[in-house]
Amino acid sequence: MSGSNDSCQNTSAVSSLSDVSSLFQTPKKYEELNVIGTGAYGTVYKARDLHNGGQVVAMKKVKVPITEDGIPLSTLREIALLRQLEAYRHPNIVRLLDVCHGGPSVDRDQQLVLFLVFEHVEQDLESFLKRAPGPLSENRIQSMSHDILSGIDFLHSHRIVHRDLKPHNLLVTSSGRVKLADFGLAKTYDTEMKLTSVVVTLWYRPPEVLLGAAYNTAVDVWSAGLVLAQLRTRTALLPGASDSDQLHCIFRLFGRPSREEWPATAAVMRDSFPDYPPRSLADQLPHAPPLALDLLKGMLMFDPAKRLTALDCLEHPYFTDEPLA
Amino acid sequence: MPYWYYDKKDLQNTPSFRDGISTETENRYRKEGARFIIDTGSKMDLGYNTVATGVVYFHRFYMFHSFRTFPRYITACCCLFLAGKVEETPKKCKDIIKVAKSLLTEQKFATFGEDPKEEVMTLERILLQTIKFDLQVEHPYGYLLKYAKCLKGDKTKLQKMVQMAWTFVNDSLCTTLCLQWEPEVIAVALMFLAGKLSKFEVVDWNGRLPKHSAWWDMFVEDITMELLEDICHQVLDLYSPQTQPSGGDSPPLSAPPKTPKNDKKPHSATPPASVSPVAPVATKPAVTPIKNGEPPPKLEPPKAALGPAPGAEPPRYGYPPYTSIPPPYVYGAPPPALPPRLPLLYTEPPPAVAAGPRPRYPPPPPAPPAVVSVPPPYFPPLPAPPPRPYYPPP
Repeated sequence: MSGSNDSCQNTSAVSSLSDVSSLFQTPKKYEELNVIGTGAYGTVYKARDLHNGGQVVAMKKVKVPITEDGIPLSTLREIALLRQLEAYRHPNIVRLLDVCHGGPSVDRDQQLVLFLVFEHVEQDLESFLKRAPGPLSENRIQSMSHDILSGIDFLHSHRIVHRDLKPHNLLVTSSGRVKLADFGLAKTYDTEMKLTSVVVTLWYRPPEVLLGAAYNTAVDVWSAGLVLAQLRTRTALLPGASDSDQLHCIFRLFGRPSREEWPATAAVMRDSFPDYPPRSLADQLPHAPPLALDLLKGMLMFDPAKRLTALDCLEHPYFTDEPLA
Repeated sequence: MPYWYYDKKDLQNTPSFRDGISTETENRYRKEGARFIIDTGSKMDLGYNTVATGVVYFHRFYMFHSFRTFPRYITACCCLFLAGKVEETPKKCKDIIKVAKSLLTEQKFATFGEDPKEEVMTLERILLQTIKFDLQVEHPYGYLLKYAKCLKGDKTKLQKMVQMAWTFVNDSLCTTLCLQWEPEVIAVALMFLAGKLSKFEVVDWNGRLPKHSAWWDMFVEDITMELLEDICHQVLDLYSPQTQPSGGDSPPLSAPPKTPKNDKKPHSATPPASVSPVAPVATKPAVTPIKNGEPPPKLEPPKAALGPAPGAEPPRYGYPPYTSIPPPYVYGAPPPALPPRLPLLYTEPPPAVAAGPRPRYPPPPPAPPAVVSVPPPYFPPLPAPPPRPYYPPP
């Protein structure tokens, strides 16, 4: 890795530890090309894998604080799980090709730079939708929806909650398949999040998270529901400007939830919102077939317990009924 | 994705070997390192999974580095430290070092340097890079239990057999088997071995299909007798007397590269099958490929150690959820009285071969009469345990 050649300051009885570290850090394995994106959690570079015929990869750089007991357990667990998932080579999950770090020595602020090397996919769903010349065909919408839900179902079956599904981290391959990216490092990110002030989009955030209530895998189904709707509109359905505005957007469309539905653990009072009457989803998505609307309604239930699971969605008649002509 | 299995040629041509350390010595270092992880782990009440994960890291690490560069005991500590975190049974680095210090001689502990904790911290990052962050490791234990659940037969005998297989799996950590075969295969082989030794013959199992000629066909395809025997031998070799003194001698860190002691002369491909405790002296010679650099198949001493072997070590950590744990075994040197070439396993006729494509079990060896009369010296109460070669004096 670049930056790995800092001399190791250990002068110790493991005599050649420092010499060795330069030896084993094989001469530069990846060549950084340009920055693809700077997210809340770190920078993603486009890079060339010099050991693999110059194959282009996406390298995500994450800084991990070194604690008194070395690399944090949560980070190790998360990387271990990502590595383990990779063995399944799920078609709707971005390939994790390699994990490495910036070298045996750490910088002065006691941080280790981790690099997660992923396959490089040319575009994400956000830019795909922006560039689309016109509405997507129903076939395309259906297959992309299925891809997204299959990826989510796979993560959930391995007890991973994505927590931040949005068009920006859904990748679209040249053959039009969708792959999930940017998951599984929630705890690693948490330690770093405080250090950055990048604005995180709220548009796909489910009400239980916005309300500060307990949440589970159902959060991803909500986010996916909004992404699926966006495949039709090509613009975000609920573009809130702040936490509370996002809740207003949600209630304006679906109506303010009943007192019974309001989560007991919510950090926000129900009375702080006007009594919005529910509106029709069909008005927002005039061309959506009835089965698609039914699926979306199930995914966008306010109560996480009533929301469909990813597996329910995949078994929904929208996907299982006769294919569209 | 990294691939962690090596053939025998790769296992011979290791960084340590290229660094002038003979394969024999390397294997001893591996064994000592693994044993040290086991001892440290059990002293700290770490579970068998954590210990096994640490040992696998250790073996993988030395497929990329030489024992001359990285002294084994500090690497071992680091592997256990990392495994503790990955398996969510974390131990403080300083506590591991404390236990390590209590287990090692002063001379050995000196390899930890002036600031052992800082050394382990640095080593952790080197270790992570070396094992390519491939942290989740599977072990044979789970498979052992899974397979046992399917086998039919006498409950007590089955439990005894599983217990023995479990001990074999523990001990197999001291070999490089985890660099050669998937945990499923190792579980099958060591359960097979335990079955033989405890005379538990598996004749029926749940989920049996007509195409199955042995129980393991249900779990792993294409396991040959040769493979099973090879694996069993590698574990049984642990119990044969040490061929060289195993002191605390470390490789000199700055030794001039010397010609590896063990020449690369091609080993005879087929060791005499007769020395094998597993392979029968039969029409079909057991092809037991020589382990990387282990001394070529030893005619002497015979594998008489087979008897006390499985109990060689008091099982120190990790038991399967079976309650009947045999009393602590005593390390047993091979009873000298035993006749050589004791085909213990085949004192009874092998099970009838199901109508399979080829006989699963070779025909019974022409059992020498002497053999039959020898009681299987399985758990012999031996008087004075000889000094454990890889136990440093307190």
